[in-house]
Amino acid sequence: MGIRFREVSYHYPQNHLQFHQAIEKISFQVSAKGEFIALVGHTGSGKSTLAQHMNALIFPTEGSVEIFGHSVTRKRNRKIRYNDLRKHVGLVFQFPEYQLFEETVEKDIIFGPLNYKVPLDEAKTIALKTLAQVGLDESYLNRNPFNLSGGEKKRVSIAGILALDPDILVLDEPTSGLDPEGKRVLMDLFQSIQFETDKTIVIITHDMDLVYQYTSRVLVMNQGKLVFDGTPEKLFRTAPLTEYQLSMPETIKVLQAINERLGLSIDIYQKTAEAAIQAIKEAVRQ
Amino acid sequence: MKNIVIGQYVPGDGFLYRLDPRTKLIAVIILMVAVFLLETIIELVVAFGLVILLLIAGKISIVRVAKGLKPLFVLLLFTFFFQILFNKEGTLLVEEILSLNPANLGLGLLLTVLWRLLARFGKFKTILLFLWIAGIYCLLRYVAIAPQWTTFSLQIHEKGIEMSVFVVIRLLIIISLSTIMTLTTKPTDLTQGLEKLMRPLKVIGIKSDDFALIISISLRYIPTILDEANKIMAAQASRGADFSEGGLKEKIKQVISLLVPMFIIAFKRSEELADAMESRNFVPGKKRTRIHELSFGWKDAVTSVVILLCLAASITLKVIG
Ligand SMILES: Nc1ncnc2c1ncn2[C@@H]1O[C@H](COP(=O)(O)OP(=O)(O)OP(=O)(O)O)[C@@H](O)[C@H]1O
Ligand SMILES: [Mg+2]
Repeated sequence: MGIRFREVSYHYPQNHLQFHQAIEKISFQVSAKGEFIALVGHTGSGKSTLAQHMNALIFPTEGSVEIFGHSVTRKRNRKIRYNDLRKHVGLVFQFPEYQLFEETVEKDIIFGPLNYKVPLDEAKTIALKTLAQVGLDESYLNRNPFNLSGGEKKRVSIAGILALDPDILVLDEPTSGLDPEGKRVLMDLFQSIQFETDKTIVIITHDMDLVYQYTSRVLVMNQGKLVFDGTPEKLFRTAPLTEYQLSMPETIKVLQAINERLGLSIDIYQKTAEAAIQAIKEAVRQ
Repeated sequence: MKNIVIGQYVPGDGFLYRLDPRTKLIAVIILMVAVFLLETIIELVVAFGLVILLLIAGKISIVRVAKGLKPLFVLLLFTFFFQILFNKEGTLLVEEILSLNPANLGLGLLLTVLWRLLARFGKFKTILLFLWIAGIYCLLRYVAIAPQWTTFSLQIHEKGIEMSVFVVIRLLIIISLSTIMTLTTKPTDLTQGLEKLMRPLKVIGIKSDDFALIISISLRYIPTILDEANKIMAAQASRGADFSEGGLKEKIKQVISLLVPMFIIAFKRSEELADAMESRNFVPGKKRTRIHELSFGWKDAVTSVVILLCLAASITLKVIG
């Protein structure tokens, strides 16, 4: 089960004659349980396109995507209930404006559950719960989602997907446009969801610190191709980051600089700022 | 929904592309008038030949123009048959007695059902249409079993055939001319041309620049709005409301759930656009300069002369004939 990409390519139609190849011959697998995956890559490398394949929002031009036992290919298959696939894989869009469309936050969050035949009062309870999970209180329930700030919209759109209780949660840049504290709160939320329910979580992000600190597997996209699939340790210790147009996490950069300036040999591979400070303190003590 | 093309402009480099849109607009109008002045089939065939020459000279693919004619095919066909059947002038060429009775009505209905079913497969649509017409004709003509309801006679007159050919060629010419214009002129240039041409109407209170602005903003925003619609549908689909699944009732519900956010977004977009324009110093009603000023060059002058000659020729023909 889970999601399996087989040689997937996708072209965006540009006009009558031209096509834009967004992703090219991608193959990998995501299991339905227990993974915390980061999907990274430079702007325009095809991450969002890849993410939309994961719940059959777009169909591959070539190859196939197997989602919970159903093979999604170029042609729409009448035997597959795509709505049911999307119950398994929830996708939070990169731009929350696209995901919000109801008049109130509450209506927007219960839109999904109602589609899957959850009774109204139960859906409302879920809305309250998920809203709290993403760090918003109930005063938001009756607000117009279009009048919220960027970060608030982001949270509401995440709540809308959490309310579906999918098996795999795919989040396209959930932390962009949030303040550092907000980022940490959200990432902690995803981590705790993953801890408690053993769901698989895939996040797309440009923030290497979050990648290093939270995730257990990294997929790197470069110009439409999948060029790396492995642990963050392996990525930051051995992979050619500049070739992938990626950078090191800030903690590693800082520790590296300290080592060079002061001729120390602190272990630079520290995941969190706290751990880095601890390492520096230790080095100072010696 | 992505594939809807607004206007039919296709980039190219024939001389038609380099003409001033104003020249093209006026030329099309004058040529249409000229075509309507023509009175015999021979004159029209010559005019049609000239249009084909224009296509070749302007390096426009005839196939593309033919494709543009496709949606109007039914109109052409209808005009053709209407003229043939109802024009009762000139000598009588054919007379057939047709009859309507229960037998051929039933068979006719069957044939129609068959035709619609086959047409669903999407291939040979035109041939099927002709086969259907021929089939209906044969039924009416040869299946004459009592009890007869009515009989009527189908008469084809000389003038009828002549007029049907005449009208169809004339329509073809006119449609081709306007297709040539839209194929070779960007919608923005076209609106700018219209704006300039309508400027004299300011006297009677029509503000041509506002009008042009409205048209160009609409043209600019149609693809954007379609894009928004696609995105909202994707957002709804990702939460279990796929538009292509579910029954009719669900579909109607989903269309409504698409319209509300579309309106909200359209209003929001228009507010943003207004802010963006104002922040770049747009003042309604003030005169604005253009990046690309329209310029009337020697090509336009030559074209105008040729067009006027065409008009003069057809007026002469009218007067002599
Ligand atoms: N709707 C579209 N139509 C045409 N081309 C598109 C469309 N969406 C994306 N593309 C193109 O496909 C490529 C991949 O886009 P994608 O959105 O997947 O990139 P991304 O990795 O998510 O980038 P970012 O980090 O900026 O979000 C880009 O070159 C982009 O220009
Ligand atoms: Mg993206």
